[in-house]
Amino acid sequence: MPGRLVAAVLRCYPARWRSRHGDEAAELAELLIRDGTPARAVALSYLGGAARARLTGRPSRRVAAALIVAAGSLGAPLTLLSAGPAAGAAHVSRAPASRTGTRTAQQGTRGERCTARLGRASGARPAAARPGVPRAAISGTGRRHGQGC
Amino acid sequence: MTDADVLRRAGDASVLILTSLADGPKHGYALIQDVSQFAGVRLGPGTLYGALDRLERLGLIEALPAQDRRHPYRITAPGVAALRAHLDSVERVSAVGRLRLGVAGA
Repeated sequence: MPGRLVAAVLRCYPARWRSRHGDEAAELAELLIRDGTPARAVALSYLGGAARARLTGRPSRRVAAALIVAAGSLGAPLTLLSAGPAAGAAHVSRAPASRTGTRTAQQGTRGERCTARLGRASGARPAAARPGVPRAAISGTGRRHGQGC
Repeated sequence: MTDADVLRRAGDASVLILTSLADGPKHGYALIQDVSQFAGVRLGPGTLYGALDRLERLGLIEALPAQDRRHPYRITAPGVAALRAHLDSVERVSAVGRLRLGVAGA
């Protein structure tokens, strides 16, 4: 389950990033989880990174917004996901402790599909049960496991 | 802070990573471990890769050929200069702060 959650989050990164860092990032997640870092914390960190990568790499604000909503549904403070200069410092903790183009609403964007998959992986409640969360952000067609989002 | 301090707006993670790479190339996991050891800060993996990409775009670090699935990174000459400039800036601010606080050793 933890591996599935991290794998789902890693698929939220742009394809270019995944081809470069994907394998290493998955291995790093395994090592960190083995060291005692909660899988949820690893997934959240990658989720914030994916949102920032999409905001800075290809300006697709819908995808980034969908990822931020997903992070929020997993319990991440939204300030951690800011894309400003201090964002690099936002994701640290003390040791001791392409454009999406025009798509039909039915198809949804990559981020929306990704968010929907994340919701399933984390056991999140369905859209109807979560007031305040845009339905479009969590209702995607969903791809089969193993495909990028 | 001076204009030469390109790390001024790069974030703490970038400074920590450059500091870690100052004593030799490291891959992601080794960077997290080292930063945790010398700074008491645990970098999240998403933050780490974001900072690595940013530093590489700025030409302050470079990736070495992959070993298995791991990409070691090393600091470049501009990276050394940027880190030195940043540390100088921080030191100046630190000295003023200590002086104004009346802390001994300023």
